[in-house]
Amino acid sequence: MKKVFTAGLIAGLVLFVLSYGGLYLSVRFFPSLFIEYNSPLFNSDGSRDLLFYLHPFIFSFALSWFWARFRKLLKGPLLLRGIEFGLIYAFTALLPVMWITFSSLDVAIGTVSSWLLYGLLQAIFAGIVFAKINP
Amino acid sequence: MSKKLALTLLCFITYFAFGFQNPKSSKWVISKNCSLKVAGSTNINKFNCDITNYYKPDTLNIYQSSGNHPVKISGKMELEISQFDCHNPVMTADLRKTLKAKTYPTLTINFVSLDRYPNFKNANGELKGKVNIALAGVNKAFDVNYRYNKTAADAIALVGTQRVNFSDFKIIPPRKLGGMIETNDELDIQFVLQLKIIN
Repeated sequence: MKKVFTAGLIAGLVLFVLSYGGLYLSVRFFPSLFIEYNSPLFNSDGSRDLLFYLHPFIFSFALSWFWARFRKLLKGPLLLRGIEFGLIYAFTALLPVMWITFSSLDVAIGTVSSWLLYGLLQAIFAGIVFAKINP
Repeated sequence: MSKKLALTLLCFITYFAFGFQNPKSSKWVISKNCSLKVAGSTNINKFNCDITNYYKPDTLNIYQSSGNHPVKISGKMELEISQFDCHNPVMTADLRKTLKAKTYPTLTINFVSLDRYPNFKNANGELKGKVNIALAGVNKAFDVNYRYNKTAADAIALVGTQRVNFSDFKIIPPRKLGGMIETNDELDIQFVLQLKIIN
């Protein structure tokens, strides 16, 4: 249990830096990709900023538990285990959610695809951290 | 006695000839094709929103006094927030939400004064004036720079411009993705009034 928590915390910190660092750079260098975020669909009064910035930790603790239960099924070198873990997460959890999101909300396919890719990359990085800390 | 009488008469004549003039009034009737433009920016893009073809028959009453006193105006321009078009459905919807269109559906510009009466002998010119803008439940006074162009013998296009802030109206500029996308506080407002002058 302690390892699940430790791995979750470390993965959360790594994802926090990578996710928001990447997001900041993307907004700065590819602003046109983010025009759609001006939509009223997205919270605009700052009241949920804390929740937004807690996302990597919610994500990493959930995946850390999942990793602890299924890590023995993932074999091979560190990177391969991370990639496989990311793909499992993306196909079992992320893809269905993105599917229902695109089918029910007025968001562009490009935006939904970017969320899918973003989640996949996050899960791969989390998997690599888990494979290192809690092999 | 006759000197006193003569002096009194002279004072009266001088007063009526030069000192006392009734304030003149004229009416400027708002015609078709008036518009309002709002320009703003975020850290990722710029937006231009407008209400074109505004037309609500109304009259601006202009009260001129003698000398270089400001010209008083009564009259207003009342615009529906829902008529704003930002030429991008996402931006249009966001502006309407930001301006609290559901709670406060109108933007009102109340015309208060001009620094002087326009000299219509010139085809165009510049003026300054005051307006009160009511938006999102807040009423605030602004100085406005006007430019006028004579469009006919008895008609002018009056263009008013002013920079305002969202915060002037206690509106928090929208911020998305935890503040990674931020709307700048400043908004440039331009309104165009097509006016027919009735003296």
